[in-house]
Amino acid sequence: MARRITIDPVTRIEGHLRIDCEVEGGRVKKAWSSGQMWRGFELILQGRDPLEAWLYTQRFCGV
Amino acid sequence: MKSVRLTGRRGVPAGISRRDFIKFCTAMAAVMGLPARMGPRIARAAVSPRRPSVIWLSAQECTGCTETLLRADHPTLATLILDLVSLDYSETLNSGAGLQAEEYRERMIRENEGRFILVCEGAIPVNDGGIYCQVGGRPVVEILKETAPKAAAVIAFGSCASWGGVPSADPNPTGATGVDRIVKDKPVINIPGCPPNPYNFLSTVLYYLTLGKLPELDGKGRPKFAYGRLIHENCERRPHFDAGRFAERFGDEGHRKGWCLYKLGCKGPETFNNCPTLRFNDVGVWPVNIGHPCFGCSEKGVGFAEPLFQPARPLYITPPTQFAKARPEPGRGASTLAAAAAGAAVGAAAVAAGVSLGKKDGGSGEE
Repeated sequence: MARRITIDPVTRIEGHLRIDCEVEGGRVKKAWSSGQMWRGFELILQGRDPLEAWLYTQRFCGV
Repeated sequence: MKSVRLTGRRGVPAGISRRDFIKFCTAMAAVMGLPARMGPRIARAAVSPRRPSVIWLSAQECTGCTETLLRADHPTLATLILDLVSLDYSETLNSGAGLQAEEYRERMIRENEGRFILVCEGAIPVNDGGIYCQVGGRPVVEILKETAPKAAAVIAFGSCASWGGVPSADPNPTGATGVDRIVKDKPVINIPGCPPNPYNFLSTVLYYLTLGKLPELDGKGRPKFAYGRLIHENCERRPHFDAGRFAERFGDEGHRKGWCLYKLGCKGPETFNNCPTLRFNDVGVWPVNIGHPCFGCSEKGVGFAEPLFQPARPLYITPPTQFAKARPEPGRGASTLAAAAAGAAVGAAAVAAGVSLGKKDGGSGEE
């Protein structure tokens, strides 16, 4: 029977990262990483003046 | 993560000379609008062994606000902040992760209940039960709701935490909102900006430590010492505005000569902040002095709301009694300088510009 290990939050990175993995017999069988935060830049940018796009996209990550 | 006290000799943080430290504290007093004699008192508070615990929550953020505090060129700022407070929880800086980090946060909140400062960075999404930002499998809006009542003070750092910022831009897909829309039972100090000026955060914390109370806030919860004036009031390009000299297009003659950026969409006339006087990156820059209009990043309803290149709606216009010449005519530097000094409404920045230009011209002429 596989054992599930979750690390959330993963610290010392920018953003909200979560790691899930399934461990069986001391080995990682499956692993998932997932961002736990969504702001919807894809939707915010729709229909905007392209000259403004940098203003939004540069704020994706401030590091 | 209780950090070791780094205080050097004679009540001065390690790595800073006593002279520089007192000078810095006196400058901070000026930022806060306090008399210069408060400098030594601020210095005493800054090295007091009673350091408040700080819980730093990350919501819908880009971490630019944390970076603005930590990546200052000058070591004084990061040293002072980390020396001033006991940063007990921060997703960006904690060494422990997962359960370990979450348990430590809960323990620190329990041990410092009613005494810790809660800093929130990033907007709080409320749509669909807050699932758009989760920490440890729980919506951050819930974590905020259970943490805030136990805090001594709540600081919303950055535009996102103050009023929603970039994720709240139309159509606001996640229902991003400011901390003060969630925390209702106590005042929330808003320090908006994208990123905010780190010195505004530092002076707010220093004010609290020195005087034991929160600074005076305006109607939007912002410290008055930092957000009391429009950018337009202290802008170094203000004399050009008053004289009707505008850059019409990027790269045109007016733009190259450093004229007013109002017609390119500068939002300085409707944005309250102290950027012109308290600049960034420790090298004295801010958007307007490198040739880009202010886009009102710190002002709700302006930044990420009004079209970038649409001219602002000036909130109030205070014309000076005399127009200062930002570019003195050759050989007449001193009289220009005198006019600049007389036009007090032009503001300190313009006067300073007048002085340096006067010097460049020799400044030898008389009144």
